[in-house]
Amino acid sequence: MTAPTMKKTERTDYLRILLTQRIALLALLIVVVVVTFFINDAGGYLTAPYDFDYMSASLISAVPLAMLGLAEMLVILSGRGGIDLSVGAMVSLAGMVFGFAYGEWGWPLWLAILATAGFGAFLGAINGFLVSWIGFPALIATLATFYAYKSLAIVVNDQQPISTKPIQELFSLSKSVELPLFGEYVPNVPLGIFTFLLPTVVAVWLLLARTAYGRRLYAIGTNDVAARWAGLPVRDTRFKAYVYAGLISGLVAVVTVGQFASARPDAGVSGNGMALPAITIAVLGGVAITGGIGRVAGVVLATLLIVWLNAGILLAFVGNEGSQYQLLALGAVLVFAALLNGLTNRRYGGTTS
Amino acid sequence: MTAVAEAKIKRRVLPSPVTGQEIVLVGVIVVLWAALAVSTPAFLTAGSIQPLLVATAPVALVGVAMTIVIITGGIDVSVGGAIMVCSVLTAKALVGTDGVSLGVAVLLSIAAGGLLGLVNGVLIAYGRVHAIIITFGTANLFMFLGLRIFGSGTVNGIPATLAFFGRGPDGRTLGIPHAFLITLVITAVAWWYLRHTAGGRHFFAIGGDAQAARLAGVRVQRRVLLAYVLTGVLVGLASCFVIAQGTSTLDQSVGSGKELAVIAAVVIGGTSIMGGRGSVLGTLLGALLVQSVASGVTQLGWRSQLSDLFVGIFIIVAVGADLLRARARRSR
Repeated sequence: MTAPTMKKTERTDYLRILLTQRIALLALLIVVVVVTFFINDAGGYLTAPYDFDYMSASLISAVPLAMLGLAEMLVILSGRGGIDLSVGAMVSLAGMVFGFAYGEWGWPLWLAILATAGFGAFLGAINGFLVSWIGFPALIATLATFYAYKSLAIVVNDQQPISTKPIQELFSLSKSVELPLFGEYVPNVPLGIFTFLLPTVVAVWLLLARTAYGRRLYAIGTNDVAARWAGLPVRDTRFKAYVYAGLISGLVAVVTVGQFASARPDAGVSGNGMALPAITIAVLGGVAITGGIGRVAGVVLATLLIVWLNAGILLAFVGNEGSQYQLLALGAVLVFAALLNGLTNRRYGGTTS
Repeated sequence: MTAVAEAKIKRRVLPSPVTGQEIVLVGVIVVLWAALAVSTPAFLTAGSIQPLLVATAPVALVGVAMTIVIITGGIDVSVGGAIMVCSVLTAKALVGTDGVSLGVAVLLSIAAGGLLGLVNGVLIAYGRVHAIIITFGTANLFMFLGLRIFGSGTVNGIPATLAFFGRGPDGRTLGIPHAFLITLVITAVAWWYLRHTAGGRHFFAIGGDAQAARLAGVRVQRRVLLAYVLTGVLVGLASCFVIAQGTSTLDQSVGSGKELAVIAAVVIGGTSIMGGRGSVLGTLLGALLVQSVASGVTQLGWRSQLSDLFVGIFIIVAVGADLLRARARRSR
């Protein structure tokens, strides 16, 4: 083989890696986004400096986004059209429960968090029961529970948010902290990253990559029928995916209450809601909507991409134009990723991650 | 072949004109209305029923197209964003210095909606990507577009050009609101088209098995494209209803959450989310039921958000009954 042809094969291989390895593509996009905004910053086109401190501070919005993205991933992985439209409503309702437990009844913080997570898991179990045991299409079941949970969250405290003193003091949960040992050399990082996001990421990764349950979840998502004939507990496995999604939503509820310093009845459903961005993050992270394909790293990288892109857009425009262009960016990235998935499927027979 | 046998074959080919779900829905609506009439005397009066029908119209109208989309096995979650674009565009045209006439406003809205539907349709039919993903993406794009057209804040001082579709006396003939009448006619046409024409049956064929439909000679991509363009067109018309219903002000929350309301109406109406089965008549009844509940909750003096809880319960009951029937069919 002559040298030029070899070079050509190498080049196509890079393209192939970028198209089939979602993680490689996301990493490249993150670099492009960050470099673009650094250049814009240096040119003085931004309203405020886009630097490592700003990037680090903006990670606070990555906490709920990545956690719910992981929740959606678990559900979508389980296959048979798995999706959870109710995560935002679960965040609202579980947040109200947290507001009552910690803000009104004066439970200790750990107990209140535990109860909220448990309540989230219970709401997820209702979804899982409808989908897995009764056989509702996931879109329908979670559409119904979205309406029900949303309504209950608003009615339970007569549309009033709970922002008693203990709840307001929770705001410290979302402040930035200096890391120990080498903290003075790197930017301060929002506390929520360590208390909620990282534990969730590690737990989901362990669950998927290091337990039998994870293998079963990929199996039933890839081929439901084959998994049943192989003797796997298909229903139970799918049921648990929805329970875990509810559990994570419960934890996000605590984070959200802390961020707003108030348990708001519409926290997870106001405006665009939380479910749409979460599904977007999962799909962008390479989770196949048909189930059985998806990795934790993809979801985390997709979150970083969207968060840093949004943070940059906010600085590139004056006033509320920035938040409008964030919609454009989210939509464009999602359509682009979806079309790319379609192209990759036809050309290379699918992504590997 | 005898006439009896022929009739038998015809009966087997054509689905029954009304499904069990629709009969049940009519029953539920009758019971609900009766109960509301007993508990609040003001319910069964023209002053209460007319606004109810006007409010049902946009959801039911978009629901007609959404039913077709879902029959083909797709879904469109971007209709909320599309309603926002169409209504703000039309509202701005109405407010403009000259202020367009009723006909121009409707055509403009329909054209804008059709264009948005075309974007969805092309991406879904030719990009070969799952509809829910693409329309999640375009939902964001449409919302961006709508907010850009809004500029800042609300559109104020909309003239009463569209009163023909509104709540007022100009919006009624023989006491029936025009918006509801138009919705009724379009639903009837769609019902006939889906049931009695080859083109209509093709939508069912695609939803049942797209590959088999293609091999049987259905132009699958064109049909799918048509379904989404139709959605856009009806979104355009529904947006005119939305503007007419409001006051002279249009705010940025217009269309928000409408996609889920429409899907809920379709699903309560007995259309299978898996595709291949469904009816526009059921969707109309589903939309009417949802709106009746919302109206009833308000008139009973309950918190209006409570109606969402009932919507959730209705979805579960309606689809659950359908699941049980399907199970019974299979085991028979």
